[in-house]
Parts: sequence; structure tokens; C-alpha cells
Amino acid sequence: MKKGLLFLALAALVCLTMQPLAATAAEEIPVGGIFDITGATSKVGADYAKGVRAACDYVNSLGGVNGRMINLESADYAYAIPKALNLYKKYVNVNKVFVIQGWGTGDTNALTPKLKKDEVIFMSASYDANLTNPANNPYNFFIGTDYSTSIRLAMQFAKDNGAKKVLFCYPDHPYGRAPIAAGKEYAQMLGLEIGPDEMVDLTATDATQQLLRMKKFAPDYVWLGGTTPSCAVVIKGAASILPEAKFLINCWGFDSNLPLLAQGAAEGRAFGILPVVPYGADVPGMKAMMAWTKGEPHTLHFVKGWVSVLVMAEGLKRAGDKLSGPGLKAALETLTDFETGGLCAPITYTSTDHRPNTTCGIGAIKDGKVVVLVGKVSMPREAKYIGN
Amino acid sequence: MPCGLFFETYEKDEAIFQTTFLRVAMAAFAVLLLAFPFFSDWLSGLTNLYWLGIMTHICIFVLGAQGLNLLTGFTGQISLGHGAFMAVGAFTAGVLHMDLGWNFLLAILAGGLMAAALGMIFGVPSLRLRGLYLAIATLAAQIIIIWLLRGVFEAGAVEVSDATLFGFSFDTDQRKYYLCLFFAALGTLYLKNLMRTRTGRAFVAVRDRYLSAEVIGVNLFKYRILSFGISSFMVGLAGGLWAFTENAVTDEAFGVALSVKYLAYIIVGGLGQVTGAIFGVTFLELLHWLLEVPTDALSRIFPNIFEKLASLREIVFGLIVIVFLIFEPDGLSARWRTIRSYWKLWPFSY
Repeated sequence: MKKGLLFLALAALVCLTMQPLAATAAEEIPVGGIFDITGATSKVGADYAKGVRAACDYVNSLGGVNGRMINLESADYAYAIPKALNLYKKYVNVNKVFVIQGWGTGDTNALTPKLKKDEVIFMSASYDANLTNPANNPYNFFIGTDYSTSIRLAMQFAKDNGAKKVLFCYPDHPYGRAPIAAGKEYAQMLGLEIGPDEMVDLTATDATQQLLRMKKFAPDYVWLGGTTPSCAVVIKGAASILPEAKFLINCWGFDSNLPLLAQGAAEGRAFGILPVVPYGADVPGMKAMMAWTKGEPHTLHFVKGWVSVLVMAEGLKRAGDKLSGPGLKAALETLTDFETGGLCAPITYTSTDHRPNTTCGIGAIKDGKVVVLVGKVSMPREAKYIGN
Repeated sequence: MPCGLFFETYEKDEAIFQTTFLRVAMAAFAVLLLAFPFFSDWLSGLTNLYWLGIMTHICIFVLGAQGLNLLTGFTGQISLGHGAFMAVGAFTAGVLHMDLGWNFLLAILAGGLMAAALGMIFGVPSLRLRGLYLAIATLAAQIIIIWLLRGVFEAGAVEVSDATLFGFSFDTDQRKYYLCLFFAALGTLYLKNLMRTRTGRAFVAVRDRYLSAEVIGVNLFKYRILSFGISSFMVGLAGGLWAFTENAVTDEAFGVALSVKYLAYIIVGGLGQVTGAIFGVTFLELLHWLLEVPTDALSRIFPNIFEKLASLREIVFGLIVIVFLIFEPDGLSARWRTIRSYWKLWPFSY
């Protein structure tokens, strides 16, 4: 009896395992997906993964790319770099992918040498400015305003709103650290006084100590470079300790969960970088997304994942029969002011500049919801800022 | 007719591979490992996993886990800083190779030595502290070292080119696997031999009853620090191998989670057993990846619950480890010994 059960279980496992192999045999475009669904950044990563998966299904429902279906091979890497590295090798060697929808700054940096060697396109959710220089990172692409441009725009916003003193608060983490140097340089140029940095971990549950130190400097605006839960912790704590300060939040720390987690403390005090429009915004591109998701609410990160796939699909379409890393790279580099139906600013990549755009929105929290405060803030595309 | 193992000389009693059967079995195991790349593609096609990559990581972690096993399993010290010591090895080897043009072998040796030096410094409290207290002290090492590395390498990542030796480049996954396998085997043999020496016996004496060890003349301070040194050296070497295998070093890969993972490897495998590290790393890594197979298949059938299935996999992983530790607290190597003696005594198990 026991042996019979064991045999059945083994047979079921083998059948389940063999099934995907049979499914990929047709004329499909294999795409890899490296997502964080259970790790340190899963609070924003899970909805991003949903966006990527939904958009792939959506593209397939329209007949795929040039008649070929996208076959997304995806897995959770729980923000563990060794696992991301092994997943990458699996996608490239076993699934023969040449384009990957990836995730964080740490794993993107760890994979960069391999991407160059294997000529694989990596469309990440890390908007680290370092990745926008094709001379160093030729196969890296992303769709949002890079973190350095975002922080410069945030500093400009603070200056325009009467700030004199700013302070940077971020996790000691590649994502958090990436734009700080650019932010300080720009703030200095604008004549803003810069306070001492504060570190708040991505998984922090309390930031009282940091806020008490911030209080001594009394900043007008604080840059928050964490993800939504850690940003909410700071804002919630600041309601009593630092009530006069306002917060400028990087794009992974600002979404519809922020007012819920900060319990009203974010109202009118938290301003976020919006590389894409919020879910449900009145733009043409949103209609398809709303219809596909049947109006089920999602965060901004879902929209980012969705747009990342739309841009990839456009590249694949333009690549035609040249379905390879270099083919897709060349195709993506022909994108000039590519419109995603207003979901994000028009996207342009060139062979010397992989910044998708230098325009984003600034959001605020009103009545517990994310609203667009300024639809468009922009920096000129200056060559000196490529990769910085 | 003698029944059982009878040794007539000390040499035979102390031999690493004591019986012909064991020698044949080990040779077969070695052949299997050497031949692995030739059938890994077939295995990958069957399971939708990349086995060569998984096995390369297993080899690297076996080397590191042998290091921690020496410290924790054989000398009775605990360390939660081995993730950071591995980072030191990786960054040192990467920088020496890339910036100063050092040969890769020298670079990873230097990485190991650097890790050993730091390990010995952070091992100093081991004279006064034991158990949980020492765990917290070494946890501080983990945090300080990673913080320092972040300060020095602002970009957070160092790119490393492929290893080359006398014009031969370890540039394919297959060659990298062999390189890591060689070092893992070397580390394992070294540990096995070390435990047969005077130093090895001193380590065990320190572990079993440090007061008695001191009474019979074992220099506690020397052996505790030495144990930290050798252990960190081995994990530093593993870090160097990591740098040349993955071609990039980022501080994020070597966090507290890695240190805890190292402890899990040797606890699940069996503390104080040379085979323990091998069993532990292989079991946990394979379990992690094999759980991916049904999750992957189920998420194709039920794409809407993809996120929940990912969490389910972590839960199942945790459950298996808990159940395993309840039923086999001495680790996999103890289970292995039970199985072996069962076969040896069969059919007269009484």
C-alpha cells in the first residue's frame, strides 16, 4: 500500500514536471521572470510580479508578438542573490531565454557581468541610474525615471515649495544608497542645507531614534528611500516627533498601502515620485489594464510591471525575426517617444543613453488615497547625467 | 572467520578509507561527480532546473560549511559571522585579481588569509564567551564587516573576470564546476586529515570539556583562535571561488541570512562529522530547488495563486527541516551511519 502511494506520488510529480516542457515546444518567445514574492522587498515585489504576469497574458490574448506567444518562466527568488544567479543560469541555459523581467538593484548588479557575456536583455525594476549607461551596462533596460533623476526632481520640488533644509533617510541597501550622492550634489547646487544621513532598515518596525536625531536638524523635507512598509514606519513616528517635516519618497516607497500603514500620518505630508500613473487613472492605457484585471485594485507597482512588459513586447515586435539579445537591444534602442497610453512618460532609448525618460509625476495622499499632485515634472536630458 | 572490522596495525585503524568496499564506493562517487556535467543537461531538461549551477553552488557552500563545521562541530564554538568572512574572501580575491592583476590562485588564497585574519580577531572573545554570548559577538562581526565593505565599495558590487591558470580559462559553467569541486574535495580531505592530528584532537578536547583540556595542557586560547582562523580561511576561500564563479561580488549576497544558512547546513547535516557538511548543504540546497518543481508546475495550472504558491514552498521547506530535526536531531550523517550499520548487520540486526 505504502509503495503504491509512493509510486502514485512519484508518477504525479513526473507528469507535473513534464507538462511545461511539452507546452514550450511551440513557436513561443521564452521570457524569464525573477521576482521577489516572499523576501525583504516582497511588499512591493509581489504586486509587481502580478503586473508582469498579467501583462504577458494580456499581450498573448491579443495574439502575442508577431503571432508568437510570450512564454513567461518565472520564479520567486526571495531577494536572495545566490538564488537569482541560479535562476538566471537556468533561464539562459535550460529555457534559452534572451530577455528577463528582473527585480532589485542588488541582483541586477550581481548579474551585470553575465548579461554582457551572454548578451541577455534584463528589464529590471531597479531604476538605478548606474544602469542607464550602455557603455557599462549595454543589456540593461527599465521603464521608470531613474532614481538619480527622481531625487533631483524631488529636491527641485522641495526648493520650489520653500524648503531650506533637507535630510536623507534610506536603508543601507543598494536600492537605498543608489541615488544619495546625486541627491546631495543637486541639493547643494540648489543652495539647500543638508542634514546628517539617517538609516532605516527595510524591515524596520520603529524609527524613533532616527527621528529624534532628525529633530535636532529640523529639516523641512526628508527624502525617504525605502519601500512602503519602512517609509510608513518613519512617517507614522514623525507625526508626533517631527510634525513640521514633509516627506519625499522614492518610487518603491509610495503606493496605496502607505496611507493604510501610516494610519493617516501620511495625509498631506507624504509626497511620492510617480514614474507611472496610479491604478485607475484617467489615461487611455489604463482602460485595457482595468478591463483585464476586472477593476480589482492594485498598487502602482502593478502598473510598473505591466508597462515593463508592454515596452518589452514593443521591442520584440520591432526586432521581427532577430529574436536574440542583440536583436532586441537594437530594437529597443529605436524607441523614440514611445507612448504607453499615458501610463508613463514617453519612452526613448538610444545606443548611448538608456534613460527611458526624465519626466515623472509627484503624488500626494488625500483622503487616504494616492492622488497625482503634479502630473509632470521634468529634467532636461543632459549627457553628463547618463549613468549618474 | 572474523565477522566485523579488525585492524592489526595503527595505520589501518587510522586510515581514511578503512575498507575496500568504502574505497570502491568513494571512487564510484568521485567518478559520478566528475561525470556529472556530461549528464547534467539531460537532468536539466527533465526537471526544468539548471543542475550544473546548483551543483557548483553546492561545492562552494560545502567548502564554507566544512569551515564552520570545524569551528562549531569540532571545537564547540559558534559563529554567526561566517557570511561576512565569506564576503571578505570574495571582495579581497576580486579586488586583488582585477585591480592589482594577481593570479586567481594567489588572489583566492589571499582572500582566505584575509578572512582568517579577521576571523581570528573576532575570535578573541571566544576565550571568555561561549554559546549564545559568542553567537552575539560574532553577529557583531557580521554587521561590522558588511558595513565596512559597503563603505569601501560604494557601488556595492565588484566585477570579476573569469579565473585563468597557465593560459587555461575557467570560462564555462562546466569548468567552473570542476574548479569548485576540486576545492570542495580538497577542503573535505584537509578537514578529515586535520581531525586525525594532534591539533584535531586538541580541538575535540576543547569542545568536549574545556576545563579538562586545559588541565592536560591544551592551550585553550591558541586552539580556539586557531580554529577560528582555519575555519574563516576555508569560508574565505569559498568566497574567492564565489567571486570567480559568479563574476561579481555584491555585499547583499553575504548578509546575516547566509551566516544562519551555514549553521543550518551543519546542524541538518550533522555537527562534528566531516560528511555532515556535505549532507547538510546537499540536502538543503536540493530540497529548496526540488520544491521549485511542483510549485512551478502547479503555478502553471493555477496561475492566479502564483504568489501564494511561492509562500507555500517556503512553509513546506521550513516544515521539512523542523520535522527532520525532531526525528533526526544528530543530523543526516547520523542517519547515514544507521543505514550503513543496518546493512552491515543484516539479517542479524540484533
